[in-house]
Amino acid sequence: MFVSYTIVNPLTIIRTTRRLPRKGEVLARVGDPVEPAHIVAQANEPPDFRIIDVARELDVPVKKTATCVRVKDGDNVNEGDVLATRGGLGARAVRAPISGVIVGKGRGRLWLEAPPTLIRLNALVPGTVVTVLPGEGVVIETVGAHIQAAWGNGREAFGVMRAVVRAPKNPMRPKHIDASAQGAILVGGSKIDEETLEHAIEMQVRGIIVGSIPPSLMKRLETVTFPVIATEGIGDMPMCQAIFDLLRSIDGREAAVSGQWQAGSSFKRPYIVTPMPTQAGNPVDPESPPAVGNRVRVLRGPYASASGIIAEMPTGAVPLENGARMPGVYVDVGKERAFVPFANLERLL
Amino acid sequence: MPEESSIESILIADCGTVITKLLLLERVEGNYRFVAQAETPTTLNPPWSDISVGIVHAINEIEQITGRPLYLHGRLLTPRHNLQGVDAFVVIMSAPEPLRLILAGLVREMSLESARRTATATYTNIQAILSREGNMRSPQEMWARVIRDSEPDVILLVGGVEGGATRPVLELADAIALASYMLEKGQRPMVLYAGNSALRARVTKLMGDITRIEVVDNVHPAIGVEHLGPAQVALERIYAEKRLTAAPGVDTLSQWSRLPVQPTATAFSRVVDFLWRREGNPDRGVLGVDLGAANTIVAATFDGRPYVTVYSRGIAYGPVAWVQEHGIAPLLKWIPEDIEEEEVLTLLHNRALRPWTVPQEPRELWVEQAVVREMLRSALAVAQSTWDTGRATQVSGMMPRLDPILVSGGGIVHMPRPGQALLTVLDGLQPLGISTVLLDVNRATPALGAVAGVKPLAAASALEAGTLVSLGTVLSPLGRAHHGDTILKVSIMYEDGGKLDVEAHYGEIEIWPLLPGQRATLELRPSRRFDVGLGPGRGGAVQAIGGLVGLIVDARGRPLVLPDNVDQRHRLLNRWLWDVGG
Repeated sequence: MFVSYTIVNPLTIIRTTRRLPRKGEVLARVGDPVEPAHIVAQANEPPDFRIIDVARELDVPVKKTATCVRVKDGDNVNEGDVLATRGGLGARAVRAPISGVIVGKGRGRLWLEAPPTLIRLNALVPGTVVTVLPGEGVVIETVGAHIQAAWGNGREAFGVMRAVVRAPKNPMRPKHIDASAQGAILVGGSKIDEETLEHAIEMQVRGIIVGSIPPSLMKRLETVTFPVIATEGIGDMPMCQAIFDLLRSIDGREAAVSGQWQAGSSFKRPYIVTPMPTQAGNPVDPESPPAVGNRVRVLRGPYASASGIIAEMPTGAVPLENGARMPGVYVDVGKERAFVPFANLERLL
Repeated sequence: MPEESSIESILIADCGTVITKLLLLERVEGNYRFVAQAETPTTLNPPWSDISVGIVHAINEIEQITGRPLYLHGRLLTPRHNLQGVDAFVVIMSAPEPLRLILAGLVREMSLESARRTATATYTNIQAILSREGNMRSPQEMWARVIRDSEPDVILLVGGVEGGATRPVLELADAIALASYMLEKGQRPMVLYAGNSALRARVTKLMGDITRIEVVDNVHPAIGVEHLGPAQVALERIYAEKRLTAAPGVDTLSQWSRLPVQPTATAFSRVVDFLWRREGNPDRGVLGVDLGAANTIVAATFDGRPYVTVYSRGIAYGPVAWVQEHGIAPLLKWIPEDIEEEEVLTLLHNRALRPWTVPQEPRELWVEQAVVREMLRSALAVAQSTWDTGRATQVSGMMPRLDPILVSGGGIVHMPRPGQALLTVLDGLQPLGISTVLLDVNRATPALGAVAGVKPLAAASALEAGTLVSLGTVLSPLGRAHHGDTILKVSIMYEDGGKLDVEAHYGEIEIWPLLPGQRATLELRPSRRFDVGLGPGRGGAVQAIGGLVGLIVDARGRPLVLPDNVDQRHRLLNRWLWDVGG
């Protein structure tokens, strides 16, 4: 039985793929040591452009536009420069609506392209480049703590971690965010509300990590410039104890936080990586089957977000609260033993 | 691969968006049966990015179940030798992302509507629609910008009836060529031209060496006439080429089998078509719905004409976007107890985050079943717009005569009780007349569709051998009456000579005993204003076969209307749930 997993590991070998949103040029090479701000690859954003219908603007037949056009392919033009003119009675001129380069003409039209803007991809995670993905990006290897989360708002940052609540069930409140939070990545407990978020923006925090995000806040978070990530998902759930404990243990250390999340075929998961000054980490093994004693997290149902240990692996299906029968395991969650179907179980590696 | 006649064991991989299912079909005492199955997460996406990884996992599970070696030295053992390996290996897939499509045409209600219907036949995601409508100062610049920003795989260019408009179509083609020219060569969309055939040569010349173009028959050759088949076939082929054969890991699979990877929807549709041909009743259609995590497939055959619709929303990845489009009220109305909007939204979002999870508590189940109902309704609405139901038509705008109705997909199959599955399907599809509802309990129907391409006899044999389980025969009379009025009298004459006389009352669901496999003759006597599929007020004798739920009369009326009063609605929903077995 294959069970899904989440990495929550204090010391492991982490391979982070950094990929450009479109084909470009990789600047780093295999073996290069990189720091978070190091630019490892770059690409051109598709430039702005204008199609200028010279024939229509000058009111001349398409065949005659060639005699009116005053620029040629490859010419650099500034906004307002004359591109084409028609003399005689009712003389007119067509001017460049933007600065750029003439990249094509034909059928009475000109194609004017603005200078391209460069997309720069930073390393985000300090480490060593171990693989170059030609034209796409790099894979960076780091030894340190690694936590995978459930949802993020797409932003990324590198900064100092700061735990602001004492228990994973405590929500983050405005009172937790004082002047010392400026530039820090804050670790909360269960959730954050709108008031606290606005206060965090005002205090210029660098990132927020909480257990869950209310659905009503998701749209607002898309416009926030720093990463906000939820380790458990959407709603009002306490942060999983195992994740909270690990985040508390790296309080005061620097961490790379990626809030990029994507479902389906371009699947991406938010993560937190804290480099450690050691080479002693072991890679996680996601392929091993679940067994008694494994550390797990419950994904759904009455014990959602609770972490515990597999205590028993019954054979056959067991009835659930809603009447369905599913195969699964018994998990010791605190002082209770709960049955969790395999589908709603996640190993913590 | 061995000759068809010597194929005795077939391994089928069904790679869905979330789950990959492996089924082993074997000849046992002259019949083909599923002897083992295994499920693993689909590994098309990171961190694996290789579809074959999950398949190998599932093969290992099947090896453990059967004790038979199937995989050695990184290869599937095929053909079978003694008790090792299998004779054939087929793969069906819905896991890759849909084709990114732009529709370009002249009039939204005409050729572009035909283009939209064309696109529903395979896995597509319509990124934008370019049309000549509106007073645009610089349409070409706008079109070019849309094409550049949407990064489509294909532009389906339509427009102009045969002998009709030419210039506007050429302007669109010109804009497409221009926009494509400005893109990097590897990023240029291909063009599928399905417009006025008089322009084929000129459109092809306009595209020149800029981008690849394919030409097919006009989808809208005359006003009121549609001809979607060739464009649909072309789109399906392009999907297979750009998504299926290009999926990471498919190259590994192709070393194990020379059979091409097939789209799941095509395979599913083949089974529905087979059922229609087996029934051989031109007065009825056959309907199949397969509710997946990311897509809902609706397949139907009427008068020998097969139709397939891929609605690009499923039970896990569709509902959040669906709610943004339709609001949350349609979902809330199906939930039989008080629930806050925020709780429903939370469940929907988390389902998308972890699509493989299952509902555990009753409230989670009610939300999931509400989603199933609305996905079925929405998918059916799209599908119905493409159907010509011919002799199966009953009442304009209502469901045609359908028998059987086949339902598949994890969201339905995993419901705790068969009555819940049936009720959800009845609410979602609202059939009319007499229908047998078949449940694909092992979610094996698409796999059998794939098998039909290799060994039709094996697919037919497995279908007969219990792959589909009947939920029951459903009678859904059409008409209006007061709540509680008797609208139908039924005499159930069982095979063993037993007889039961019963009545159905308007507004109720009635269930009477008819066990799986048990046959009975039903003497139907509807009241004057009701049509039970035999004509208004007309009765008669019909044959029925039992199922897990029994013989069902859905006398709730069509379309199904739920009370606005919340308490009344909750009482009604709970009573219906109770009536079908809780």
